[in-house]
Amino acid sequence: MLTVFSSRFGEIKADPDKIINMTSPFLGFPDSRRFILIPHGEDTPFMWLQSLDDPQLAFVVIPALTLVPEYQPVLPAQTRQELKAGAEDELNILLLLTIPHSNPQKMTANLLGPLMINPEQRLAKQIILDPNRWDPRWPVFTDDGK
Amino acid sequence: MLILARKPGEAIAVGDGIKIRVLEIKGGQVKIGIEAPNDIAVHREEIYLRILEENKRAALETPADFASLATAFSRSRGKLDIPSATEK
Repeated sequence: MLTVFSSRFGEIKADPDKIINMTSPFLGFPDSRRFILIPHGEDTPFMWLQSLDDPQLAFVVIPALTLVPEYQPVLPAQTRQELKAGAEDELNILLLLTIPHSNPQKMTANLLGPLMINPEQRLAKQIILDPNRWDPRWPVFTDDGK
Repeated sequence: MLILARKPGEAIAVGDGIKIRVLEIKGGQVKIGIEAPNDIAVHREEIYLRILEENKRAALETPADFASLATAFSRSRGKLDIPSATEK
């Protein structure tokens, strides 16, 4: 077990076999390459993506299809190669959520820059999709609060 | 910053695999052709900046607790076989 400190969870014991390595880091966070997924709870699809290199850095993520069933983006060429995935291997898609402190109902999902994960190799990369098609601030809830 | 003057049709080589060619200059706009290896991602800068900004917002805004919202999703379920941490 690898023991690291995180500001949100305190000490985390991370199984080295479960560490997810970024093949290229998140834009804006060049120094974080190793992450671990921590489920938010038993009965929810939300997860924390906690950096093992920066105690302060954690994203809230959700499997894309849980949120947007029709989400089937065209992957940039080389995504599979970079993640060492064969043509048949299944990749997981996670969406990063932005949840405003003051108004969580306004949470948005980044459909433009999803995180692709090869679960077999535990390699991940944030890809950039077609900006004409996908919204980086897609509202999770409709305005009337439904 | 390196500054080079180029005419339409002329190019700049970056390393071995990247060529940036000025194709056309018209009405205050420049058309640029970029040849790069497949593993080099090429995007308009503003798209990069949108992703970067959204990543920063996502990391900063994250609340300490969103249990009430999380339960709203408890009925829907995605297929999930991503390795995740078992211990805190």
